[in-house]
Amino acid sequence: MDRDKLSVLAVSDSGFIFDPVTGHSYTANATGLKILELLKAGKELDEIKSALTDEFDASEDEVSVDINDFIENLKKYFLI
Amino acid sequence: MKITVAVSGINTIDNPGPGAGICRALKESGMDIRTIGLAYDALEPGIYLDHIIDKSDIMPYPSGSREAFIERIKDIHAKEKIDVIISALDAELPIYMDIEPVLEEIGIKMLIPTKEMFRTRDKLRLKELAEKIGVKAPEYISCASTTDLHNAVDKLEFPCMVKGPFYEAYKAYTIGEAESYFTKIAMAWGYPIIVQKFIEGDEYDVIGCGDGKGNDMGVFAIRKMTITKLGKVWNAVSVRNERLIEATKKVVKGLSWRGGFEFEVLLENKTQEIYVLEINPRFPAWVYFPAGCGINLPARMVQFLTGQKYESHSDYKSGKLMIRYTNELVKDIKDFEKISTFGES
Repeated sequence: MDRDKLSVLAVSDSGFIFDPVTGHSYTANATGLKILELLKAGKELDEIKSALTDEFDASEDEVSVDINDFIENLKKYFLI
Repeated sequence: MKITVAVSGINTIDNPGPGAGICRALKESGMDIRTIGLAYDALEPGIYLDHIIDKSDIMPYPSGSREAFIERIKDIHAKEKIDVIISALDAELPIYMDIEPVLEEIGIKMLIPTKEMFRTRDKLRLKELAEKIGVKAPEYISCASTTDLHNAVDKLEFPCMVKGPFYEAYKAYTIGEAESYFTKIAMAWGYPIIVQKFIEGDEYDVIGCGDGKGNDMGVFAIRKMTITKLGKVWNAVSVRNERLIEATKKVVKGLSWRGGFEFEVLLENKTQEIYVLEINPRFPAWVYFPAGCGINLPARMVQFLTGQKYESHSDYKSGKLMIRYTNELVKDIKDFEKISTFGES
């Protein structure tokens, strides 16, 4: 995971993400925004899973799927 | 100190020239600058933009007599005492390259590329240029006939880009489309027509200005968000891509670039590799955007030419948006009468 790239992303409370290197912008939902904030804070995947399970009252399996999907999307767009 | 700067390319039309943006940047620089618009037609909108262009004069076409061109500048200079000319049109650069020493003798300064620099950035020498600055160039074939075109598309395959020698570029998916674009561009701009391999990616532009000794006066990069049918940027966002900035600085250093320029590149989606598309040898039409973000390149150029201190930093924020828009002016027919009858506003 490219933590340097992650650190320069501008992420607003509304879920609007701006990549200052490519000039592309994206919108994340509340779950995506939470994952991104935790990644930016340097949290590991287990910590993110645990935080999401607590916050969204979901099972670990459900949360794992969402996290993996979201991270794949971030990779696809060269955001991490 | 009052400085008089004459600026061409004040045709702020659907294919906008950079002149009005240059004048606006100069007027907002804090320097005491009088701007003179050099127009080729009495209806160039810049002539009527009184808030940024103090006076305008009609010039003879640069494709005509060299003597008539010089005489017209001398005539304007006798009335206006021009300190600097900023040439902003590709078509007139060759004549300014020829007459720059004559202008220097009468006290008019310019910062434009040399003929060798002008040749180096030719669309037909992209590969050579790319190697020099350590980026890639899309594969391309120069065509002067439909037979050449057929051979080129056989090799490069569809989709491909069909590009004019000066302006216009189209993406062709079939031989029918390629032929139609080929004919359309040839009729408008002549030969050669360039057929280029299509690379999936985003287009970025970097504006800069070189002092002719390998130093830049600042650079500013954008991603094109929307472009017109002629490929002109309409909306853009500022970006900070260090690899792009580094490649641009190599252009300035490697070619000892002299004057304003626009470095057009494409970042391939799959690899994020930089492909050079073109170097325009003058400021682009969006020159005001960087000025509005603290990188006032026309002002820095004038300060350099008039022996003043100038900033050369490239400290700007990413995420600044340029929104271009159209507008209408209401003027009197007498304004048109004056410029069309006397050749000056």
